[in-house]
Amino acid sequence: MTDGRVPIDILDPGDGGLTRGGVIGHLAIDDAWLVDPVSGRSGRGSIVIEDGRITEIEWAPASASGPSPSVVVAPSFIDIRAHIREPGAEEAESFASGLEAAAHGGFGFVASMADTRPVVDRPEVVQRVLAAGAASGSPVRTRPYAAVTLGREGTNLAGFASLAAAGVVGFSDLPAATTDAAMLRAALSEAGGLGMPIVIQPDEPSLTAGAEANEGLPSTILGLRGASAAAEVSAVSRAVAVLRQVSAEVPPDVRPHLHIAHLSAAGSLDPVRAARAEGLRVTCDVAAHHLALHDGWLGGDRRWSWAAASSPWAGAQAGDPAPYHPGTRLDPPLRGPEDAIALIAALEDGTIDAIASDHAPALAVDVQRPFGEAVAGMSSLETTLGLVLETVDSGRLSLVRAMRALSLGPWRALDGGRIELPEPSLRVGAEANLVIFDRADHWIVDDVMLRSRGRNTPLLGRSLPGRVLLTIARGRLAWQDPDLD
Amino acid sequence: MTDATGAPAPTGWQHRHLLDVDILTRDELRTVLDLAGTMADRRADTGTSRPLSGRTVATLFAEPSTRTRVSFELAARALGGDPVSLDASGSSLAKGESLIDTVRTLEALGAGMLVVRHPRSGAPQLASEHFGGPVLNAGDGWHAHPTQALLDLFTLRQVLGDARLATAKVCIVGDVLHSRVARSNIWALTCWGIDVWLTGPTVFLRGFEAWARALPAGRRLTVTGDFEAGIRDSAAVMALRVQRERLEGAGAPSEAAYAARWGLTEERLRRHAPDSIVMHPGPVNLGVELPPDVAAGSRSVITRQVANGVPVRMAAMALLAGAHA
Repeated sequence: MTDGRVPIDILDPGDGGLTRGGVIGHLAIDDAWLVDPVSGRSGRGSIVIEDGRITEIEWAPASASGPSPSVVVAPSFIDIRAHIREPGAEEAESFASGLEAAAHGGFGFVASMADTRPVVDRPEVVQRVLAAGAASGSPVRTRPYAAVTLGREGTNLAGFASLAAAGVVGFSDLPAATTDAAMLRAALSEAGGLGMPIVIQPDEPSLTAGAEANEGLPSTILGLRGASAAAEVSAVSRAVAVLRQVSAEVPPDVRPHLHIAHLSAAGSLDPVRAARAEGLRVTCDVAAHHLALHDGWLGGDRRWSWAAASSPWAGAQAGDPAPYHPGTRLDPPLRGPEDAIALIAALEDGTIDAIASDHAPALAVDVQRPFGEAVAGMSSLETTLGLVLETVDSGRLSLVRAMRALSLGPWRALDGGRIELPEPSLRVGAEANLVIFDRADHWIVDDVMLRSRGRNTPLLGRSLPGRVLLTIARGRLAWQDPDLD
Repeated sequence: MTDATGAPAPTGWQHRHLLDVDILTRDELRTVLDLAGTMADRRADTGTSRPLSGRTVATLFAEPSTRTRVSFELAARALGGDPVSLDASGSSLAKGESLIDTVRTLEALGAGMLVVRHPRSGAPQLASEHFGGPVLNAGDGWHAHPTQALLDLFTLRQVLGDARLATAKVCIVGDVLHSRVARSNIWALTCWGIDVWLTGPTVFLRGFEAWARALPAGRRLTVTGDFEAGIRDSAAVMALRVQRERLEGAGAPSEAAYAARWGLTEERLRRHAPDSIVMHPGPVNLGVELPPDVAAGSRSVITRQVANGVPVRMAAMALLAGAHA
């Protein structure tokens, strides 16, 4: 601790400190704000960790006076979707850099996507990915998805059973759309038999061919090819219809599971709600940038979505940040502020299960190109918490809901128990998987702080709330803020 | 600095680049147009002051164009500059070199000013972030063509006069969606106070009604699918070039159907906009957006638009050279 600002008392009986990767010998945190997603409880309290396990939790009486502490202790986050570029493009992100970025972002688990080179479509590749994760030395857990189809080519179903046995979390061809409804039907049926999810990117390619941006006022003004929200909404409806059919035709002990990745359009929420009401197993996630950012960012608007909702971006003003920042090119694209507001409400009401990082690091050479040629995606493991806390600070999302969507929501959507992931709760006796961050302490997104190799983010130079002080995964120290010695 | 006439240049020009006309104020538009007027009057003279003297102006065209490139090169030469051109087919861009590398190479070779045309919206913005001198956008994707809008406004002032233009309606007809000329003209003409109308096949008007509603107070933009209402009593009708590959796809009309429904015929003009001039950014698809008799007729100011391109580009280059001296 450098300046006494952080009310955190770190004691390690061994060598008087904490070592990265080492088991937490003793750590007591007095008077923090505890959040337990499982019970839904949050409040002042203290927590003690001994030898990598939670040994004591003391909740302060509700009558406790004084301002709420800004340091939050919650289960470390579970990322349901991140692109780690190993194998094949380690220069863009390896497991070593990616998992350190994850730890800096408060994540204790990362599900990595299958779009590597080679594609994760055979058990040997799964083994290779798991070995790379283990070799990184990070205590952050990681497991890959496998592709739905061999080579992610959309033609032949991958061998699900052997991939499941090898330890994948689910099946996904992301970022490609699973466009063929017959293939989706077969995949849902096959994966359902194994109790595993099919993760889709809802898209209707005929409406998004060549798209560079959301179809809306910014794309009209900036002259960018638009992807209409109807592409996503119609694909969600179609996927739900296929799921309904599959669910009706499989044996009663099989429950096909469709997970819809990164919803971005308000109109997608209704078919999801309807499917849930029917009892179909549909889960979904949203990326933090689709909550806080909006398509005005493409034009240089740097307001959060809730601030832009009443007066959306309608053209540049002299002195604005430059338009066409390649870090704002995303797939699905940033939508209008009103979409972001609807997504936040859907998180608060439980329609959306999880917040994903959708981490997509890319090399500068692939990003520093004319907007429509830049690789889509954003390096986001380290900025997800900051954007979520900005959303919480806007008053539209409760902190408990936010923490739940970053841990328990994805844990349930992934059937965490099946993949040997401890339930994200504050419970005495449990292995310590915790994030400790200071809501009130801002940090600057820059080269000094970022651990990801990806610099493709429009948040570079921005100050974000929620400095992560410590991340603990598997009872070990995964991240320690450089200012804490 | 002094301009090509030797007179003091207008002061207060703050813009480093000309990437679009969207952020120009009315006073700034007037500054460019007035200077262009001076340039047009004095272009025949040898001129005593040459603001681009000793400077190399690189024109980087990653999309084919003859008239715009020649116009920029003549403008650069008239200001004493030394134009060098790089065209897409023969350049390293075609061999996969990145735009940034090409721009840096041009700068290293001594280019002090850069003119960029690119098929991707926003490419000149990127170029401006990696080039030391001023960058002029000569057309990017569907986004902007600022010197075209400036020369269109210059031509409107020249032909109609400021008094008539103050109350004038100008209608833009055709494929607005894919048109950088339309977008830049929307900014420039509405800024000038002109009552701007857009009309054309509805698939080509997508999104513009929302833009019309979102324009700053005081700017007038009306979008209509009714051709006759669009051109009615216009002082000028600007036909946009319809690219053949855009027709007959995605719900667009065929070429013949387009000409029949949206062709700017003399008969239509006589009936609905008898006093209107006819403009076109060129090159014209004769018999599609304009019949030959209208394109070459007395209403047409198309040749004048082309001629005005040189002094307008001279003015823009001179201002940027001064702002960046």
